[in-house]
Amino acid sequence: MAFVFSFPDVGEGIHEGRVVEWLVAEGDTVAEDQALVKVETDKAVVELPSPHAGTVLRLHAAADAEIFVGDPLVSIGEPGEELPADTAPAAQEAPVAADAAPASVPEPSAPARRPLATPRTRAMARKLGVDLGQVQGSGAGGRITDSDVERAARGEAPAQAAPAAPVAASPGIAQATAEGEVERVPLTHLRKVIANAMRASKHTSAHVTHVDEADVTDLVAHYRGVKPVIEEQTGVRFTLLPFFIKALVATLQRYPAFNASVDEERQEMIFKKYYNIGVAVDTPEGLIVPVIRDADQKDMVALAAEVADKAERARERQLTLDELRGGSCTITNIGPLGGVFATPIINQPELAIVGLHAIKERPEVVDGEIAIRKMMYLSISFDHRYLDGAEAARFMSDMVKMVSEPMLLMARL
Amino acid sequence: MVVGSVSRGCQVVVVGAGPGGYVAAIRLAQLGKDVILVEKDARLGGVCLNVGCIPSKALIHASDLAHEVQGAGAMGLTVEGLQVDLPKMVGWKDGIVERLTGGVAFLCEKNGVEVMHGHAEFVSDRTLAVTGDDGRVEIEFEQAVIATGSRPMGLEGFFHDGEKVIGSSEALSLQTVPERFVVIGAGYIGMELGSVYAKLGSQVSIVEFLPAVAPSLDPEVGKALTRSLKKLGVKLYLNHRAERFEAGDPSTVIVRGPKDEKVRLPADVVMMSVGRLPNSDSLGLDAVGVETDDKGFIAVNDRMQTSVPGIYAIGDVVGGALLAHKAYQDAKVAAEVIAGEPAAFDNVTIPAVIYTDPEVAWAGLSETEAKEQGYNVVTGTFPFKASGRAMSLEATDGFVKAIADADSKLLLGVVAVGRGVSEFIGEAALALEMGAFLEDVALTIHPHPTMSEALLEAVEAALGKAVHMVNKK
Repeated sequence: MAFVFSFPDVGEGIHEGRVVEWLVAEGDTVAEDQALVKVETDKAVVELPSPHAGTVLRLHAAADAEIFVGDPLVSIGEPGEELPADTAPAAQEAPVAADAAPASVPEPSAPARRPLATPRTRAMARKLGVDLGQVQGSGAGGRITDSDVERAARGEAPAQAAPAAPVAASPGIAQATAEGEVERVPLTHLRKVIANAMRASKHTSAHVTHVDEADVTDLVAHYRGVKPVIEEQTGVRFTLLPFFIKALVATLQRYPAFNASVDEERQEMIFKKYYNIGVAVDTPEGLIVPVIRDADQKDMVALAAEVADKAERARERQLTLDELRGGSCTITNIGPLGGVFATPIINQPELAIVGLHAIKERPEVVDGEIAIRKMMYLSISFDHRYLDGAEAARFMSDMVKMVSEPMLLMARL
Repeated sequence: MVVGSVSRGCQVVVVGAGPGGYVAAIRLAQLGKDVILVEKDARLGGVCLNVGCIPSKALIHASDLAHEVQGAGAMGLTVEGLQVDLPKMVGWKDGIVERLTGGVAFLCEKNGVEVMHGHAEFVSDRTLAVTGDDGRVEIEFEQAVIATGSRPMGLEGFFHDGEKVIGSSEALSLQTVPERFVVIGAGYIGMELGSVYAKLGSQVSIVEFLPAVAPSLDPEVGKALTRSLKKLGVKLYLNHRAERFEAGDPSTVIVRGPKDEKVRLPADVVMMSVGRLPNSDSLGLDAVGVETDDKGFIAVNDRMQTSVPGIYAIGDVVGGALLAHKAYQDAKVAAEVIAGEPAAFDNVTIPAVIYTDPEVAWAGLSETEAKEQGYNVVTGTFPFKASGRAMSLEATDGFVKAIADADSKLLLGVVAVGRGVSEFIGEAALALEMGAFLEDVALTIHPHPTMSEALLEAVEAALGKAVHMVNKK
């Protein structure tokens, strides 16, 4: 079945244009994304790509013709295919045009129906100038609630749609640009928070990342040995992370400047006498950093349980604000996701963040012999305004020793 | 300005004091506007209060009572020698009209609405001339609301003499029950007043050009109404065109049947109810450029604004459903828009009622409309013959039908035929405005025993789980 490609909304308030040149002729075979026509708007000359492959059956606009958004440009179909009734202007092939033109919001199969909202909500929408047709309802059965309207009025993303809502799949709006189809999706609140925090941190601190490497063969061996025992005794899923939290805390105790922040106004260092360790958690909606309070006073099993609980609740967005603030230093465990090493961004107002990277088996020289060892990189991003590189190198070297020689860590507990 | 006329000003002038006009005037006054309400008749309230909704319902109730008590033998009630004193009945009805129109005048006064009586005509887009008993006054206004309503349409061949050829207004004030009462047009008014006189003892014939009564409604409604009119002894001439009236004793109404055959209907009184025309022709609208459609209805947007800035129109004169409650809503929208509020007419449904016996009421989409709009339709119908309350009223005719989207279970419409269904169609309208799903209605406890329970049962039937009847497989 032939489809009609219409002049899409190319954005930037452009509603009309002029056909400069056809790049295809009737009867030509076109591939998807092949440029069909050059169109001049008041901003630029753009080439419009074909949204589908097929044969050009008819060009609806002559070269030099003025065209408006929605005007049919070209019919594309099977070779030799007859166009539906030549008498009917192609522009009226509404369903076909809607299907072909990437500019249009995909037509739902359901009938065009009015948005589901109570009279009170409709009145509120009028008052706030919100078009209910553009609002996704978060209420039962997709009803648009007062708060959905308020959110839309503030330009915020819709709340999580109720599971029963039939249109929960994508809140995005498909749009065609000169370059191709894009989808515009409002930023979530969390993403805006992350964006602001990251930018602020990069603008504030003089980030330097120092990387060291550790041989964790012995640590892993000990861990493997005790993991089933601990898990059987405690019922807690035991991971390696608590070792690193403990090693970090022990190192921070030796280098208190890394467990500090700065009062810039008064130009004073604030050394924290507590060890509240932030643990970066990857959630579907973005980075969340719950804080493990008083990590120095908890044993590794308790730390494992707390990290698991907070990570789980972070993913469900159930953490309280108190569980997200008050950190003194942060640890980010990137290792399970692969890579060699990364350069994490400091979680303000802290001065350092430690990155744990993948543990990999590598050939190492041990006592003059090549041996297969479990190696990992550890990185530290620190604020060079207040901490020097030499200190960071010593800090890392100490932490590496502790995870390489578990007994050194044990001795400090 | 005409020499010798008085000129004065106000913020808003409202033309016509029917359900649209008086509500607009009162709401405007409540919103702090200085309002003049102009009415051509001596009494406020328009057609609705004076010669429409209210007086017809009074006579419908009185005639129902007469009819019902005479048919109550099965309940052990026998009435002998029932006398219908029509002048007294009409007098009782007039008393109600008096009370209500007086009530409107009282409300206008208490809200600070100034009422002027006289004929209104626009002189310019900011001036209205009112000509009354006390002469001519020109009102300079900032905004105007046209609420002049509608009037019965005539038909060629039937000269309205007010005695033998009458409209609905005269039919509400007859002094004797006509022996042979012919109604032209089987719309709301024709069926309602035809039923009244049938119950009061007239031999009633209803002539309808279309092939069915209530053709725009669910076919079941037409069937039920046809059945009940026949039960009352009303002769229905569907597919018949009224040709002319021949005066005599008795007079004759000549009608043409579907095969062009001529039928002569003897008539003492003929009531014309073939439709209504907007009262937009003597307002001087052309002078100010207010646009109307080809039938004379004033074109407005959903904020009740006409083509002329500052001039609004509401109620019957803008067309659509010619119903008082639609005019109420138009009026409130117009008043709020004038007061600078972001109001608009965005209702999901304008419910409607025909006060036949049994009553017909509906809200939302019919099954046909829902299908036309592309819904995958599911319906549920509950007949009143299965309702205990209907049996106890000896009123088992009719049904309630719920129309819904089979996929989402969204309620789309309700149509009801039966005793007192007018009283609960508002519930259906609320459900539709709130975007209720079938489950919302089904999970709402309805009082027992009532006629309104049938709505719940119909909705449960649409969900395939009616309790008080056998579900369709």
